[in-house]
Amino acid sequence: MRVQTEYPLNHEQQEQPGYFEVPGAHLYTVLHRVKEPIARVLLVGPFASARHYSYTYWVLWARYLAHRGVEVLRYDYRGVGESEGVFEEMSFDHWSEDVQLLAGWLRGRSPDVPLVLHGLEIGAILAATAFYAGIGDLLLLWSPPANANQSLRSELLRWLALQQISRYSGERKPASVFIRELEEGSSLEVAGYRWSSRLWHDSFKVELPPGLGNEPSLQSANVRPLKIVSLGKEAAPLVKSGYLAEEEPKDFTWLFVDNWDWIAINLDHSGEGE
Amino acid sequence: MKRTIARREWFSMDVFGIPLQGTHHFAHSNERNRTGILLLTGFSTPRAAHGDSGVYWAQSFADSGYPSFRIDVPGSGDSGGDVFTESLPFISAGGQGPVTVEIVKQLTERHGLNGVVIIGHCAGAISALFAAASCKECCGLVLMAPYFHVPQALRLKARRALIDWATRSRMGGLLSRLYLRSRDFRPLLRTNIPPKNANRPLLGRCKELASAGLPILVLKAPGPKPSGTKPGTGEFDYLGYLVKMASSRNRIEVKTIEGAHHNFANHVGRTAVQQHVENWLAAFFPSQDCEEALVNAGLCTGPYINPAESSGLYRLRKTSFSEGHGL
Repeated sequence: MRVQTEYPLNHEQQEQPGYFEVPGAHLYTVLHRVKEPIARVLLVGPFASARHYSYTYWVLWARYLAHRGVEVLRYDYRGVGESEGVFEEMSFDHWSEDVQLLAGWLRGRSPDVPLVLHGLEIGAILAATAFYAGIGDLLLLWSPPANANQSLRSELLRWLALQQISRYSGERKPASVFIRELEEGSSLEVAGYRWSSRLWHDSFKVELPPGLGNEPSLQSANVRPLKIVSLGKEAAPLVKSGYLAEEEPKDFTWLFVDNWDWIAINLDHSGEGE
Repeated sequence: MKRTIARREWFSMDVFGIPLQGTHHFAHSNERNRTGILLLTGFSTPRAAHGDSGVYWAQSFADSGYPSFRIDVPGSGDSGGDVFTESLPFISAGGQGPVTVEIVKQLTERHGLNGVVIIGHCAGAISALFAAASCKECCGLVLMAPYFHVPQALRLKARRALIDWATRSRMGGLLSRLYLRSRDFRPLLRTNIPPKNANRPLLGRCKELASAGLPILVLKAPGPKPSGTKPGTGEFDYLGYLVKMASSRNRIEVKTIEGAHHNFANHVGRTAVQQHVENWLAAFFPSQDCEEALVNAGLCTGPYINPAESSGLYRLRKTSFSEGHGL
């Protein structure tokens, strides 16, 4: 079985990688170009070590949208993946700034075209924060944690479980030991990324905007549409799952169809409101 | 948006009608007539690799004078092509070999390279082996955590579930410990014949390449087992078998990197990989930068001295290879 990818083969639709300048670094970006787009979407991806697992499906989602006339911009955070910068020197402030600068650039391509912010896991918090600062017309969040620390903690537990395989029970250190080390000022290498103590402490303060957990009340209080989707094991490896090892490729059409429907309906409504 | 930034640029190439995306890390100076490096990641991994270790290695090799290229194979990362849900059997059967050959040919032609060393990790190592056997432009191989058996999709799924359980429950931990101990005795019962699930076409290719004298560096990470257990215990020694079966011309070198995990992404792993590969490259494919540096330092006024011959850093051939790794 194969999962078909809607890779653009015509010239009206192209995938254009590039480097976008931000203070002190360049971000690696891929613009899924569309001629006369009906909307633009900025994809704000998951945290560093989760990038690896979700990447294929994040790209497929971007292609799915582009195929339906939506221009999409996806990127790597400063210090992560193909972007420049040293990971351990980065902070959530840098990554928030990345969202703002890219959203500004995307909006500037044609200000009258609706802009959708779509975040996944920690990216959902960053996208929501930008949305609450007035950026974007629609907000779509997949599996947002209440705060960034929840996501870091689950990433740490997943990584530790993998390390435990190679140790006898007597040699295994519980997660609390590593967490205490982080809290006391030490850094820790997790899945090839060095987490600083500062990153760990800051992660508690990086939260979803107040009240966002309560979607219906927020929906009525906000004129701009938003949708929160909680994804479970069925959505692995796009989101972290119970399995430790890499998941086999899956078909995510069920997820794409549902979320595309929501975007399409709300684009129509946003047009009516103008 | 820029195409090029300091020391690197993205590039695309069309391979059998599939658009592929990659990153080129520039060597210091003119890249023509140099040996290039192509990095292939493991199973469905984007070209930055785990923990962005691919970026780190490519930049390091480029800094040492080897133009380095990372590319997403079809169906992975930013490249086009369908995503196979059963890609393991496909890769094990050499399915990505022809694509890899074409990538190497195009890189050689575009950049005027002398040849290309393919560095493959896990499934990428399998594709590298299949490609090297039918590609004269490939002048060397670095195989990181290669596997020589055919993974069974169903068994793999069950194994993952078992690992998951073993790491989470006390009983699982106990049984896992017993299992690992039992593996100490298995080699005593076994002869030097590859097991039933051996990837025989792959072993054949590898034997051919080794017998032809292609420089091959194999980097291994100790398997997931408790400290104090001998590395490789209980597993069929494919590399020892290959060295034994290949001719005396073989130039296989094996290094086990203690403290590294399967993906070599941690600090210990990535640094050791960088050092081993750079020493090995200097021995077999000395870069112009290396030669110039030696001349400038007054260490080399005439023909280049091969460090493999002068320093003994990289011992060649089966006999010395056996000394270091118990093969």
